[in-house]
Amino acid sequence: MSEQPSFLSSVIKKGIVGAIIGGAFFGAATVLGFPLIFRYMFVAYTMLGTAVFILLDAPPVPALSGFKAVVALLAFYLVLSVVYIGGASLWPQYDPEDEKGKIAKLLEAKKRASEQGKAEELLARAKALDEKATGIMARIQTLGGPTEVAPAGSGGKSGGVGLVAGDVIALGKEQWQLQECYNCHKLFGEGGKKRGPELDNIGNLLKLDELKQKIVDPQSWMAEGFEKEYEKKKMPDKYKELMEEKDIDALVAFLATLKNPSVNTPKPIKKK
Amino acid sequence: MKTWQRSLLMLVGLLAVCGATAYAQVPSAPVAEFPYTGNRTAVWIVAQLHILFAGFILGAPIFVVISEWLGYRKQDPRYDRLAKEVIKVTVILYSMTALTGGLFIFVLLATYPQFTTWLINHFFLIFAVVYPLLFIAETIVLYMYFYTWDSWKGDKKARHIALGVLLNIIGTVTLFVIDGPTSFMNTPVKAEGVSVVEFIQTATLWDKIFNYSWMPLNLHRLVGNVTFGGFITGLIAAYLYMFSKSDEERAYYDWMGFVGNMIGVGALLFLPFMGYLLAYELCDYDASICPYMMADQLSMFFEMQGAMIGLIFLASNYYIWLSMKRIEGVERVRITVLAVLVMVALPFVMTYTWTLFPVPDPRSMAVLVPLVLIPVVLGRFIPFTVSSLTAIKVSFLMVIVGNAIWMTPHGFVATGAKLVEELELPSAWNFLALMPAKNSAAITLVFVTVVSYIIYNRAITQGTIVWGKIDFASQFVLIFLAFSAIWTMGLMGAVRSLLRKYFHTYNLVPDFTVESFTPTLAYSAWWITGITLVFYLVVSFAIILTLRVAQPKGHVHEGSPVPAGAK
Repeated sequence: MSEQPSFLSSVIKKGIVGAIIGGAFFGAATVLGFPLIFRYMFVAYTMLGTAVFILLDAPPVPALSGFKAVVALLAFYLVLSVVYIGGASLWPQYDPEDEKGKIAKLLEAKKRASEQGKAEELLARAKALDEKATGIMARIQTLGGPTEVAPAGSGGKSGGVGLVAGDVIALGKEQWQLQECYNCHKLFGEGGKKRGPELDNIGNLLKLDELKQKIVDPQSWMAEGFEKEYEKKKMPDKYKELMEEKDIDALVAFLATLKNPSVNTPKPIKKK
Repeated sequence: MKTWQRSLLMLVGLLAVCGATAYAQVPSAPVAEFPYTGNRTAVWIVAQLHILFAGFILGAPIFVVISEWLGYRKQDPRYDRLAKEVIKVTVILYSMTALTGGLFIFVLLATYPQFTTWLINHFFLIFAVVYPLLFIAETIVLYMYFYTWDSWKGDKKARHIALGVLLNIIGTVTLFVIDGPTSFMNTPVKAEGVSVVEFIQTATLWDKIFNYSWMPLNLHRLVGNVTFGGFITGLIAAYLYMFSKSDEERAYYDWMGFVGNMIGVGALLFLPFMGYLLAYELCDYDASICPYMMADQLSMFFEMQGAMIGLIFLASNYYIWLSMKRIEGVERVRITVLAVLVMVALPFVMTYTWTLFPVPDPRSMAVLVPLVLIPVVLGRFIPFTVSSLTAIKVSFLMVIVGNAIWMTPHGFVATGAKLVEELELPSAWNFLALMPAKNSAAITLVFVTVVSYIIYNRAITQGTIVWGKIDFASQFVLIFLAFSAIWTMGLMGAVRSLLRKYFHTYNLVPDFTVESFTPTLAYSAWWITGITLVFYLVVSFAIILTLRVAQPKGHVHEGSPVPAGAK
């Protein structure tokens, strides 16, 4: 019992010290221009430190046995489970919906080429034909005359019609997102900035065929100042396998439009 | 040939023809659909459970045989008893490993039949011959090792220890062999100028096994298993300490918890570097894996990992603290002030140095090595010292500082695509999110823990440790360490699998199912916790069954008579 007041005073004393240090960190982080979330993070660490130092001087826990020990164990497991699930849920969560559409587009060509894809395509065609036939039968019965039937699977726009330039650039921008180029290259002020160069002005530095060469063979060009990244082959040599020719062309067309001289895109150096 | 023989032959022939025709016309079975969890999560649950059991049965024998050898060399019966008790639990969990392994292959075949067949065909020799033979050999040696424990003692003890070494060799080879297909799925073999799809057609079995991440995964799992085994031993000790009926029992299980924790923490010190090596090879294989891990969909999984590592280091240091508090004469134990100064300076000096000379540049070690050696070399010439308890308090502070650096992200966002200025580190402080800072944080955590153990060891040597009188809270710390270690294994297991993105085998076999997306961290945490609890339930059952229920009343252990106050 004699330890209780001293522990309580220790909690109060350390709590006050912790609050002062936390406040100091918050203030310093504000002055240094840290966003709010990071300031909270510093305060959270101070609170953790305070809790640890309070724990160090905590009085000994009385020994438990038998039923009480079992209950204490179960309660401990429950607390751990809640803390870990709750803790994990507090972090920003990636929304799988963002990825689902991307994956479908990325795997579209591979799926078409696979046995499963072929079977699914056949099934889809058969279903479309079946629906079309049902429709025709219904119209014949209603109108009492022959009806002109459009070829199965035609959806309005013919596949042979070429895409206009704007569409291609939009497709290229989509490829930028799908292939997650933003993870290594900053563009329009967003994305990674360490692994690869900013590309806002790349359209003024490389021609279409040179851009394409860089994508299909990353060792063909090196950005000035990125010698280490070039030597370590940081840019993956996989896009010629993962992407279809038309997607590479679209990405190239998009990159060629990036002509913002106010951004210091490093000079590309020909290596091959 | 008699008539009945001819008739029988015709009947058999007819049956064979009809059977074959009927079989040929049987439509292929539909792919199984697991309700509620979905197929991918079902595979995840079974695979993770299997890995946890396998991790224990491969890790525990490593220190069991070391413990047995220590007992033999020091003639200390406690070590032998510890080894024997852990191997008893291992034997029970061995059957659980086999059970979950069988279940794993059934679930895989039912849910992903095409891919599973494809993988088996690529590693046919491994799956059909090598792995089963190793498993059989391990079963035989494990049971021999267990059942000869009491008969092979005295003069035959060396033979028994040799059998334990053989068990570990087989176990390690088994781990390395099965890591072949596992690592292949992450980093399938590739060659310069040839597509992965083309190269795989001509690659040999050895090419496929000896892929980029194979050896790093082997080392990571090997060290991880020892850590895991150590913490589970701590768990066994904690359970049995809590339910001990005598001071002698409490003294023994207090000591056992200390040994288990020491082995767990000892191996844990190497784990961040093994993890780093694995991540390094994965990034070297394909640089786009790196941002996916650290800056994109999995970045928050790594934040959670940082939190778990920090908690584990804090808990292991807290165990030392509680353990030191019961050492008589601990207040007399002092340490050079240089050790404390190096602890404080380490993260800052190393972040600066490694920013200038990133690892593995040889110059990156030019500052680290002298820095950590300063307390040892110059300490004896400098008369200033601090008390051991003060030094440990500083080590707690530095664990928090190190962990804060480890966990500082480039941005508080779950994907790089949504990174905006309000969630991003200021440019001037971006170095806190880069590898030099993370490496120095890992070094700090390891260094302060080593210093804490040196102080602890000095306190044990200079003071008198009273076994069985440790603060009861320490038993919860041991349980916490085991729980957190298992949870972290589950988390990192999920991360390693998710690194394949929407492929069963990265860039080679796409996963066309609707479940090939990255799940949320919260969803993953639910399942990881569930898996951890199921594993705990089974392990707790095995401990109670083998070490409490099966123990004859009045039985005296060879390692029991531990004098309270023994050094």
